[in-house]
Amino acid sequence: MFLALLVGAPMAIALAVRIVTITTGLPVVNGAGLSGPTLFGILIWLLFVRFIVPVLGVFYGTALIADEVDDKTITYLFTRPVPRAAVLVGKYFSYLACVGLLVLPSVIVVYFLVVPIGGQIGQAFPSLVADLGMLAVGLAAYGAVFALVGAQLKRPLIIGLVFAFGWESTVLLIPGYLKRLSVAYYLQALVPHAMPQDSSAISALLQVFQELPSVPTSLICLTAITIGALWLAGRAVETREYVLEQ
Amino acid sequence: MTAKTRYFVIASLLVMFVGLGTGLVAFYVGFPATAFFNRDTPNELKYLPSTASLVGAVDVREIMTSDLRQRLRQAMGGEAQDNGRRQFQELTGINFETDIERIVACLDAAGAGNNGLVIARGTFDDVKIEALMREHGAQVQDYKGKRLIVAPRFGENDFGKFGNDNRSTPLTPPTILALTFMEPGLVAFGSSPLVQHAIDLHTAGGDSAATNEELVGHVRELEGGNAWVVGRFDVLRAKAKLPDIVANQLPPITWFGFRGHVDGGLQARITAEARDDESANMLRDVVRGFLALAKLQTTSKPEFQHFVQSLQLGGTGKTVSLSLDVPAQVFDALGAALPKPPAQSPQQ
Repeated sequence: MFLALLVGAPMAIALAVRIVTITTGLPVVNGAGLSGPTLFGILIWLLFVRFIVPVLGVFYGTALIADEVDDKTITYLFTRPVPRAAVLVGKYFSYLACVGLLVLPSVIVVYFLVVPIGGQIGQAFPSLVADLGMLAVGLAAYGAVFALVGAQLKRPLIIGLVFAFGWESTVLLIPGYLKRLSVAYYLQALVPHAMPQDSSAISALLQVFQELPSVPTSLICLTAITIGALWLAGRAVETREYVLEQ
Repeated sequence: MTAKTRYFVIASLLVMFVGLGTGLVAFYVGFPATAFFNRDTPNELKYLPSTASLVGAVDVREIMTSDLRQRLRQAMGGEAQDNGRRQFQELTGINFETDIERIVACLDAAGAGNNGLVIARGTFDDVKIEALMREHGAQVQDYKGKRLIVAPRFGENDFGKFGNDNRSTPLTPPTILALTFMEPGLVAFGSSPLVQHAIDLHTAGGDSAATNEELVGHVRELEGGNAWVVGRFDVLRAKAKLPDIVANQLPPITWFGFRGHVDGGLQARITAEARDDESANMLRDVVRGFLALAKLQTTSKPEFQHFVQSLQLGGTGKTVSLSLDVPAQVFDALGAALPKPPAQSPQQ
């Protein structure tokens, strides 16, 4: 139900927008017509990058080990004749396959519903491919980070939510190098759409001082975060003693 | 794997393969999504050359009757404008406030010189226009059964004296201009080769701006306004022969577009297609910087704040767009700041 809501909501929004535009024309924001590709960019940025990908990462990444501990089934996995880290990595890849098969088709459906409103499918296709790649990388990075949180901490869901919606959002607003300790900083450099702005003075100042890493730097850093977090999670699973509550 | 999981995986993969396959075909073949929806581009596009570097259209009637135009007319001296309009009418027999419905124009920078063509739809007095042009030295020729009124150097001495323009130098270099009535209510006016080409397209058809898929695609993206312009920035830049120091500073833009809707104010959208994603990102950064600066500069000027807050940067991939909404108050403020021109009597 939760998954259906999370992935179905963008499609429902896109469908609603499409139906509205058939009868009343293109939506107008601040007196200017909004085109389909722009709307698609806004949906990708606000719904997928800033919400759905971190939420899926938090809920399913932390659950990789924590759910097995809560259900007291981790013993069955650890008694198998494979390294403990291999169990974690296997579960991580199954997480990637599941969330990938959920999120990416949803993005494609949204694309075909929204982009034809004042845009061309062919022309915007490269940005769709870039979006799919970016979301796949984001799911992998967030999944690995939260798998580490789930393997290392006792209350991983709360910590994960604080990290995803507290730390990640806050450090992006702080000038300096602190933002480099977040996944969102590297992920936003891969977004092929211009980020939606508001008209506040804070936003204006942020735009002046905005600094984004290059695409290769972002890809290298996200790969390093994914591999590093997975390796640390594997080590934690190998060395940590999980005490099952009776 | 349970049956449910199997169906989920199959459905997801199917959506992805069909979606990406369709997108890929659309990307390479150029199949427009708009093929599902018949959205008309102006019919006059079929009289413009397929090599046009700049194409624009204006719904003159809608703009002339708009509140904004009335406000500007009052703010900038309505009497002086009336004199200019009257002079134009005496010279050409056309009252552009009431006679013209729509104008579609192009600039073809592909050949030597600047070849422009204006296709105007409206109500025209053919006999009066021809007589007035002949009075100014024009000659009537026959071209494929159409009367072609050719006016060598027309406009050099005539159009330079409009309104309050007292310049002694000519506005345009000598150009052979021509005018023809393509059909009742449709006039083609511009450089002689392009007018002849328009007659060719009208009589025999052929490659025109309407068959230029890339151009039409950009035009369709700009629907919704009463004035729009689409052009090849790179072609125009090359044609302009700018000094290297200036040319190097210009962003690597291939196409640009402008769509405006004039009513009580002006709602507009400016789009630019950069050479690649990196160039587009650089352009976005530059625009973002200017927007931020503008927002900071206008915090103490409430009359401009709505305009500045309406500036919205957007676009995907290689496309950069800027939406804006200029309310009537901004034009009022600008009009009040401008010096009022002295009114001219019709005899002058």
